[in-house]
Amino acid sequence: MFRVAIEMLLHDKTKYLGLLIGVAFTAFLVSFAMSYFAGFMTRGFALVSENPSAKVWVMDSAVSSAEATINMSNSSLDIVRGVQGVEYASPLYLGDMTARYANGHFQSFQAIGVDNATLSGAPKPANLLRIPNSVIIDSGGTDGKLQTPIEKKDMWAYNGSHLNAVTRKLRYGDTILINSKRVVVAGVSHTIPRFPPRPLLYTSTSNFKRLIPGEKRYITFIMVRPATNIAPEVLAKRISKQTGLKAITSSAFKKETVMWYLINSEDVGDMVNMVVLAMLVGFGVTGVMLYMFTYENIKQYAVLKAMGASIKQLTDMIYTQVFIMAVVGSGIGVGISAIFGESISSASFPFRIMWFAPFIGFLGVFIVSLMAAFISIRPIKKMEPGIVFKL
Amino acid sequence: MSKIIASCKDIIKTFNSGEAEVKALQGITLDVYGNELLMLVGPSGCGKTTFVSVLSGLLSFDSGVCKLMGENISAMNDDELTTFRGKNIGFVFQAFNLLPSLSAIENVALPLTVASRKRAEALALASEMLEAVGLSGKEDVKPSGLSGGEQQKVAIARALVHNPKFIICDEPTSSLDHKSGQIVMELLTKIIQEKGASMIVVTHDNRIYKYANRIVHMEDGKITKVAL
Repeated sequence: MFRVAIEMLLHDKTKYLGLLIGVAFTAFLVSFAMSYFAGFMTRGFALVSENPSAKVWVMDSAVSSAEATINMSNSSLDIVRGVQGVEYASPLYLGDMTARYANGHFQSFQAIGVDNATLSGAPKPANLLRIPNSVIIDSGGTDGKLQTPIEKKDMWAYNGSHLNAVTRKLRYGDTILINSKRVVVAGVSHTIPRFPPRPLLYTSTSNFKRLIPGEKRYITFIMVRPATNIAPEVLAKRISKQTGLKAITSSAFKKETVMWYLINSEDVGDMVNMVVLAMLVGFGVTGVMLYMFTYENIKQYAVLKAMGASIKQLTDMIYTQVFIMAVVGSGIGVGISAIFGESISSASFPFRIMWFAPFIGFLGVFIVSLMAAFISIRPIKKMEPGIVFKL
Repeated sequence: MSKIIASCKDIIKTFNSGEAEVKALQGITLDVYGNELLMLVGPSGCGKTTFVSVLSGLLSFDSGVCKLMGENISAMNDDELTTFRGKNIGFVFQAFNLLPSLSAIENVALPLTVASRKRAEALALASEMLEAVGLSGKEDVKPSGLSGGEQQKVAIARALVHNPKFIICDEPTSSLDHKSGQIVMELLTKIIQEKGASMIVVTHDNRIYKYANRIVHMEDGKITKVAL
């Protein structure tokens, strides 16, 4: 009977193709939306990802993401360095700075201050930060926000701002003003784009403090590399216990950051709503199409029932058809999603296929297909096989 | 005539359509004998199709007793009835009701497939049946590639492939031209003689009355005349 079920499914090529496109579209929609969402979330913990040697992150006990932070006392670095099992610990200073460009425009940056000695946490070539008053800038996933005038006459003009001057991208040697202090662009980096996107400004601790004076507490994170004989999880617990600070592994910090976004970010909430809506629409379309397919074939099921096919045989046929549709359709949909997503993935379009995207794509389609099959079976169970004489 | 194959007594069937009540069968009593070709005739809406639906266990009825091959079908549950039908009854429908996705041989093999017979065995028997109805060489043709007469022959082969004792034909010639209709009836007559089966043919086509052993006239849900 499985063969008969398959033949029935494949017989009407147009219907089959329509059904296949419907299922594939749903799987595509779900896995694409999930991958897009995962791409954004990956950018949410970009700061953690770009410091892979920091296996343990130390922060104020109230901090639960890389996005919303409060600083620790400046002595915390020495305290953490004193914990047994810490091979090295280096600070990260985070803050917001507004820079004035040479033509008079201004732009907010997330400033990241790195350890003077090791420059740990700075993008390559980090050594450029040893130039006095220097910064490395990064678009952070934005577009067209790091601009300066092409013409010298439009830079720092004595007659005021030249806001309409033609601009080019900032580059090595350009100057910007932060808190009325002139800084030199020593380099332009291309690190992992941020979520939400914002320009980044890397500089040394001493320069950071010069640009944002008056803060009592500067250290936002302490990045710790454990000694070789200790697991990051164990060291994290030890640091927490001995210092009273929050210390977690980098992978746990990434997860916490994602959770923080899910709970606190309205942007993410909107995105989740979009994903859910896409899933519901896709699932609805798939369910209705599968139901209609079965219902249109009710005459054939009635004939089979008249010939002695049991309800179990008929339901097995429907489940077979639905299973094949779900496997083939979701395979195509997830495949297209992967190929399409990877091909258009860029700084402005985050796309990351994680295990759960195809999984949810497949699972969603399967659940909907099973539900559609379950609903489709009802009229078949209820039909009087006597309708074969009326068909 | 030999022993009784099907026996119905005082069958009453009422359809409820909204507030209206239609008495489709009003106490039908009829026996069908072995090797008999019985024709059921009468105007449209007189209850012929309802009666054969009841007789074949495809439709439940309100009261009365209906026995097939000595088994009381009104006492069977749906599963038992389905199994019984699959084993003992063959159907030929007015609209052929072939599965368009299957080839002629696969359509003929369907009752065997439903009965979980091995595919090779089912196809071999189906091939023999197709040969018996004169459709050798058309095994792999889908119904859309067959003429009306050929489709009905496939339907007949399908109705007979599992050697049922009882065959029900609903207007088997009404979708066919005169010549094809005659061929189909000759085929049915020949085959039931060879197989020793009984057959009820529901028809409006008076050109095929000559093939009947008995003709039962129905009107308003009742048997009005039985002609030999």
